Amino acid sequence: MPTPTKGPRLGGSPAHQRLMLANLSAQLFEHKRITTTETKAKRLRPFAERLITFAKRGDLASRRRVQSVIASRSRTNKGIVHELFENIAPAMAERDGGYTRITKIGNRKGDNAPMAVIELVLEPVSPKQAVVKEAEQAASKAAPAEEPAVEETEATETAEVEATEVEAAEAETEKKDQA
Amino acid sequence: MAVPKRKMSRSNTRARRSQWKATAPNLVKTVENGRVTYSLPHQAKVVTDSAGTALFLEYKGRKVADA
Repeated sequence: MPTPTKGPRLGGSPAHQRLMLANLSAQLFEHKRITTTETKAKRLRPFAERLITFAKRGDLASRRRVQSVIASRSRTNKGIVHELFENIAPAMAERDGGYTRITKIGNRKGDNAPMAVIELVLEPVSPKQAVVKEAEQAASKAAPAEEPAVEETEATETAEVEATEVEAAEAETEKKDQA
Repeated sequence: MAVPKRKMSRSNTRARRSQWKATAPNLVKTVENGRVTYSLPHQAKVVTDSAGTALFLEYKGRKVADA
């Protein structure tokens, strides 16, 4: 559970804050990226990520729970709930939390409020982490020390051979160009 | 509505305003293509073309928003 927020509610009253967070999260799921103030973005993050967790669960109870938050008043928002459950949740299947990203973009002209972009992290989980996981699995198996070294040397050799081939091909093309 | 009873003297006004201070932002120094640039930390930067027109905001090699 996210830590309860300290200090005054957004917009002044608890009801206003609920509405603002519901609207902000609906717009986030519709557009995948919204620009808002830093404070709202920071408050929105745990709220929206919880809704995504419900969407990943994907059963009828969780769908009704999300609908009661996002689409209790607006019938058009039901489409956004559908979008969340059918498109966003599968894209987040491999990701364990951290579904949103907040980037600060400086102060707003007019009232100098610090602004931020909050967006859904829809890229696949970084290949680096997958490699690390594979390496750990390999290390847990027997004979971890020698095999990777052998593979590395082979890889470098093949890479060198390829490089020389590419260079030769380039030289040939250059000769043709000159002729 | 509450209103001031007395005119505020020029001296008092100026004494108050003399306390207004500007604070320098903490900038980070980075070297890009051999050129030293200063920028605000943890904030998206504006990417410009050669003519100096703002194109978009970028943070950590990722396009964040249109300028």
